[in-house]
Amino acid sequence: MPELSDVHNEFIRAEIEEFILDENEQRHIVQMYAKISPQMQDIAATIIDGDNHLSDELTKKALDGGVEAIQIMDNGLIAGMAIVGIKFRENFIFVPEVLACARAMKAGMAHIEPILSAAGIEPIGKVIMGTVKGDLHDIGKNLCIMMLRGAGFEVIDLSVDVSPEMFIEAFEQNSATVIGMSALLTTTMPNMGVTIEAFIDEGLRDDVRFMVGGAPVTPEFAEDMGADAYGANAVECVEVAKRLAGETQTATA
Amino acid sequence: MAQETGEIKTMTPRQRVLAALRREPVDRTPVCNPTSVATVELMDLVGAHFPAANRDPEKMALLAQTGHTELGFDTIMPVFSIIQESSALGCKMQWEGKDNWPTVKMAEPIWSEPQDIVIPPDLLKHRDTQCVLEAIKILRKRFGDDVCIIGKTMGPWSLAYHTIGVEKFLLMSLDDPDKTRRVLDKLKKVTIDFGMAQIEAGADALTLPDHATGDLVSGDYYDRYLKEMHIEFVSDIPIPLILHICGRTVDRMDYIAQTGMAAFHYDSKNGPGESMAEVKGRIALVGNINNPETLYSKGPDSVQEEVWKNLDAGVPLVGPECAIPLQTAIENLKQIPLAVKQWHKEKAGRT
Repeated sequence: MPELSDVHNEFIRAEIEEFILDENEQRHIVQMYAKISPQMQDIAATIIDGDNHLSDELTKKALDGGVEAIQIMDNGLIAGMAIVGIKFRENFIFVPEVLACARAMKAGMAHIEPILSAAGIEPIGKVIMGTVKGDLHDIGKNLCIMMLRGAGFEVIDLSVDVSPEMFIEAFEQNSATVIGMSALLTTTMPNMGVTIEAFIDEGLRDDVRFMVGGAPVTPEFAEDMGADAYGANAVECVEVAKRLAGETQTATA
Repeated sequence: MAQETGEIKTMTPRQRVLAALRREPVDRTPVCNPTSVATVELMDLVGAHFPAANRDPEKMALLAQTGHTELGFDTIMPVFSIIQESSALGCKMQWEGKDNWPTVKMAEPIWSEPQDIVIPPDLLKHRDTQCVLEAIKILRKRFGDDVCIIGKTMGPWSLAYHTIGVEKFLLMSLDDPDKTRRVLDKLKKVTIDFGMAQIEAGADALTLPDHATGDLVSGDYYDRYLKEMHIEFVSDIPIPLILHICGRTVDRMDYIAQTGMAAFHYDSKNGPGESMAEVKGRIALVGNINNPETLYSKGPDSVQEEVWKNLDAGVPLVGPECAIPLQTAIENLKQIPLAVKQWHKEKAGRT
């Protein structure tokens, strides 16, 4: 069983020790990092530290050195975001820090994405995200998108004030199987249910899984609206999306 | 325990609220509304609907007064949203319809850097700031000294979200603290000027929303960026200030209690007991009846249970945690003052 000392990068070791307090979770993260090369750990560290300049530099250097793009994404960028997600979930860091980490992830992905796309490498899933009709708040939705991208999902962002028709159009134009809807206002929450109804009316409901969230949304409300899942925060959103994407893959297999 | 003694002669709603804000004894716990209790049902009742009720002083006053005349609250609060100043500053707005709040289009910010920030000289003459000032004048004339009229002036942190954009401003706060302080420093003039104008119009107290919420930033942020500025507001604005911050805020209540603000309007994500223990009598708490799960989704019994939980913990002013959902049943809102009165009656019976 790998030990913390098997993690090469000193900064990551300190992060694990200080912020990952659950024993099982710590074991899982140590196991993951022990298998990752020092070079990729250095890239992961730039994500955890929110250093976009260094993330950009080290990603480019690794690509120039012949490391495969998928390796850098999985073992550098996504591995870094795994620790960011835990720190955010446990309130060790807040939105400004997560935004900086996501910016670092984006800087690295700017080099990776074109290569993966040209090689035809598929993401782990495709998710459509939007804030529902009448609601212009997007910080929660954007955090979810950052975390989803950080976990390897392709995300189609419909932005804010998204009508049921816009969700349907995006669904029909893309091969996404999961739709995430967000609302911050109690007045706009019911539009989640309206959107799901619209999918039923169009005969599309069985082809898609809906996940919902937002400050006033509760699991009970999500169920009443007919959603498939509720996520309390951006970290849960990723877990839910993975589960729902898995369900749809099983259903279509 | 609330400051109620049982020996105090009956107070007017205004006397009751102002005494509680000064943390003085009251005849009973006041029912306070530092944000909005406007509902579609109340709009229909008086014929003052959104969005007009956010832009027309007479309609604003008419809808606001239902909080007292129909629901039985001790306060009247005419500002139903958080957008009046931002609209006057030039932000792009989505006014919405009868069943939704107006919102600033934060994805289309008007400023980027501190040097961009120019407060319009006619800020207080803009239709949307004037509307609030006129509504307060109407309400003061209509209700005299009987009811406590609460105004609202947005804090610089919230104004920065509206004018610079949430993500951009939050990243700025991490990347460049000095620049962030310059932004806040420039925007505080809006808070003070609009607050002072509302006092002149007749407001008894002011809600000061400044959304450094636990859902977005750490408690340390409040200490780093806002505590001193809020102390300054207390010194510059000569009526009781009620700070409003949504979300989990226990980690910053100690700092908030050091500002000298009269009250803190707190969210149901914070327990009444733990919050009272945190502020240690240095500031009055107002709250914290849950909006989406209780007032919007449940019935009067659940409302009563939450009101009593606050009263049992000694929370000195009771009310909804934030602006209530527009579809909230009037029955649930009326239950808040009824539950307060019932609690006092039962307590008197026990002693």
